Amino acid sequence: MGRQIIEGILRRTASVLLVLFVLSLMIFVLARVVPGDPARMALGPSATAEQVADLQAEMGLDQPIIVQYGRYMGNALRGDLGESLVTNRSVTADIADFLPATLELVLVTVFLVFLISVPLGVLTARYRDRWIDNAGRFFSLFGVTIPSFLFAVGLQLLAGSFFPDWPILGRVDYQLNAPDGPTGLLLVDSLVHGRFDVFVDALQHLAFPALALAMAGIGQITRITRSAMIENLRKDHVLTLRSFGVPERVVVFRYLLKLSSIAPLTIMGLEFASLIGNAFVVEMVFGWGGFASYGLTAILQKDLNALMAVVLISGLFFIFANLLVDLALSLIDPRLRLRGQSA
Amino acid sequence: MTLLDVNGLNMSFSGYGRTRQVLHDVSFSVGASERVALIGETGSGKSVTAKAILGTLPGNASVDGGSIAFDGLDLFRQSMADREKLKGTAFSIIMQDPLSSFNPVFRIGQHLDDVMYYADRRRGEVSSAAERKARIHDTLRKVQLADAGRVYNAWPFELSGGMRQRVLIALALLHRPRMLIADEPGTALDVTTQDEILRLINRLVAEEGLSLLMITHNLGVVRQTADRVLVMRHGKIVEQGPLAQVFDAPQEQYTRDLMAAVPPLYGPQVVDQPVSHKTPMITLQGVKKVYAKRGLFNRGEGHLAVDDINITVNEGEIFGLAGESGSGKTTVARMMMGLLSQTEGMIAVTGAPAEGAQRLSQIVYQNPGTSLNPKRTVAQTLSVPLARTEVPADRQARMEELLTLVRLPVSYLSKYPHELSGGQKQRVAIARALAAKPRLIILDEPTSALDVSVQKTVIDLLLELRESLGLTYVIISHDLSLMRNFCSRIAIMLKGEIVEQGTPAEVFAEARHPYTRALISAIPVLTAEEQALKPSVTEEERARFLVTSGGGQAAPQATGTE
Repeated sequence: MGRQIIEGILRRTASVLLVLFVLSLMIFVLARVVPGDPARMALGPSATAEQVADLQAEMGLDQPIIVQYGRYMGNALRGDLGESLVTNRSVTADIADFLPATLELVLVTVFLVFLISVPLGVLTARYRDRWIDNAGRFFSLFGVTIPSFLFAVGLQLLAGSFFPDWPILGRVDYQLNAPDGPTGLLLVDSLVHGRFDVFVDALQHLAFPALALAMAGIGQITRITRSAMIENLRKDHVLTLRSFGVPERVVVFRYLLKLSSIAPLTIMGLEFASLIGNAFVVEMVFGWGGFASYGLTAILQKDLNALMAVVLISGLFFIFANLLVDLALSLIDPRLRLRGQSA
Repeated sequence: MTLLDVNGLNMSFSGYGRTRQVLHDVSFSVGASERVALIGETGSGKSVTAKAILGTLPGNASVDGGSIAFDGLDLFRQSMADREKLKGTAFSIIMQDPLSSFNPVFRIGQHLDDVMYYADRRRGEVSSAAERKARIHDTLRKVQLADAGRVYNAWPFELSGGMRQRVLIALALLHRPRMLIADEPGTALDVTTQDEILRLINRLVAEEGLSLLMITHNLGVVRQTADRVLVMRHGKIVEQGPLAQVFDAPQEQYTRDLMAAVPPLYGPQVVDQPVSHKTPMITLQGVKKVYAKRGLFNRGEGHLAVDDINITVNEGEIFGLAGESGSGKTTVARMMMGLLSQTEGMIAVTGAPAEGAQRLSQIVYQNPGTSLNPKRTVAQTLSVPLARTEVPADRQARMEELLTLVRLPVSYLSKYPHELSGGQKQRVAIARALAAKPRLIILDEPTSALDVSVQKTVIDLLLELRESLGLTYVIISHDLSLMRNFCSRIAIMLKGEIVEQGTPAEVFAEARHPYTRALISAIPVLTAEEQALKPSVTEEERARFLVTSGGGQAAPQATGTE
């Protein structure tokens, strides 16, 4: 059994490295073959041809792409992702500043998705075809079909007109003088420093962006949980427990919920991709100084080093999230863990 | 003394705006320490009766009249809480399908402990976790699960079917009920395991002085486990009486038909199919199949599915491959069809395909419920093989001809599978195989999903088709009594090897291999005369060839072979 686990980890790591390699190569080549000269864009229209040529040489843009890629990866492995042409700082430092904001938003969103959709999925399955099921199904269809930027704008409008004091821009009130470090996640840092006023304020700031981002996931996961529950309610083992008088709430909330969480968790892993994509838009709407706004500027300004870092880290984030999902699945389902095969 | 008294029970199901009566005036009683069997075919209402007693009826069921009294207590007049209290303590059920009766993501012990904890609580008793565990271990030992600790900590998929069935019996015994309701126990298991389970239930019932309500469609099982018999049909009890009376002198035509449909194992009714000495169609010589395991470090290792198979199927014969699950019979059949390639040995197909046909052989699967696409009509299903062989103009005529061949009305062409009964679906599956004009048909457990009386009509149809179309059959089955009468030659498989081969008459009269004898002796039969004619097996031989499910190792389900 031990060998199976080691084998699994090795295979997994190998596939992660392969995906990252292909991803980096693709984005590297793509960013360099599209028209537009980064050196010219960085220096502005007034720079002379020599200045542009100098910068090109400095950035290595006159070398063949494969040489550039080799040099970039060599530096990246040492933790040096190059310099951003827009902020004129090292990309590593930029990422360290912007990534925690996005991470915080995404983590709270995932939490919100599970908090709302799992109970809703169970309820709609248990009271199938009753009014609560119909309402729940309408709600989830609503969440799946409407794009998240529309939710973002709509929530902002609603908040603006009904709760004028509720913050709808940024991460935290600047007058509060929020503490720095150690994680960059405001919710964690404020608690570490014992600043509950900052914690509450950060939560308020998070509420609407997270909700706007969560709606699609809520719709999706509610539907999956519902259908998994309905399918499992028909199984013989439910009848077994009922026949011996085990209370219905134990049958549903202990036995069925665990079994029925396999499908939603798997889907959640895949949802991360669209979550990151949607975060780009939602962050713009709510003026959230995060990774996404940084990435968007990088794309528009053809800031090659920043762009590479944003794509690679988004990819890494997606892979890592799915690794966690797989780990959770194997904790839930002994068949995955002990048989060492994907069922 | 009467323990359970069902009186004038009427019940109906409603759904889609219609109400259908499922039980008509059902009355019977079960005395203390009495064993009663409730027999009937699919849809006769026997499981509904059990659910009414237990109180696990689905929401769309309604009781329209009558009463059920347990030890003088009118069940329908009890409050919900009082009825819950009776579950597991007054009566309990032995569930049918050991494969899906446990939640796969919870340990066996968790199921047992929860059932015990809540039953204790309902009775107002407080029990500690350690004390419950001790009681559960005791009960597990009672059902011959020697290594109770290991079973308690096992996940459901780690146990063999026989072991899970024993745990289900333990579950029913946890609170020392006075009556056991057994719903087709062991039906899903191999015949030798089923035999062990039935012996265990009988022993427990005798030792603990329990009453038993045995629900089954297998008449052989009834003979072993009942003192009194109730025959049920279309929601009515059509005949009841002591076992000897019902079995020796059945009063009702339906009971007589039911008994006649069971293929005899020994005696004057047994049919011997003529042996064919025509040219061979398929020859297997020293065939071996290894399923390779895919892995990073262990390339090359694998699971040996079948080894050293030597078979010749002659034209016009009915060749039977018998064996229990995991014995490799399906692997052999798939290699014969060319769906799998052998690892070693030679497979020679010497028979030529019929004129206009692409292949020599076709296959009919076990469960027509899943082998027919539910979204396609019979005509659409049949049109697939016909698209290759017929010009479009002839297709309609050919479809009608095929349905007539399998004795179905031509109008059934426009029906969907869910509109057909199990037997009718299997006829469509046979028609689909025939559509490709095979000369050899491989029948993979063709009747095991069907009721006995339906099974008989399908078998009769297959014999007629062989006669009129000159077909050759290879049948795979675990049902030896069926094969005794249907096959002209049989081979018995054990763990991937053929241990015995010959005509059924030879094999059943004097089986050379002890495994064959053990297999035959485990088959439930209808009469004492047949029972006496079965070969005897010593305990030592049993232990050598049968994996006793109560003992140690789990039998992993061999994926891909069955």
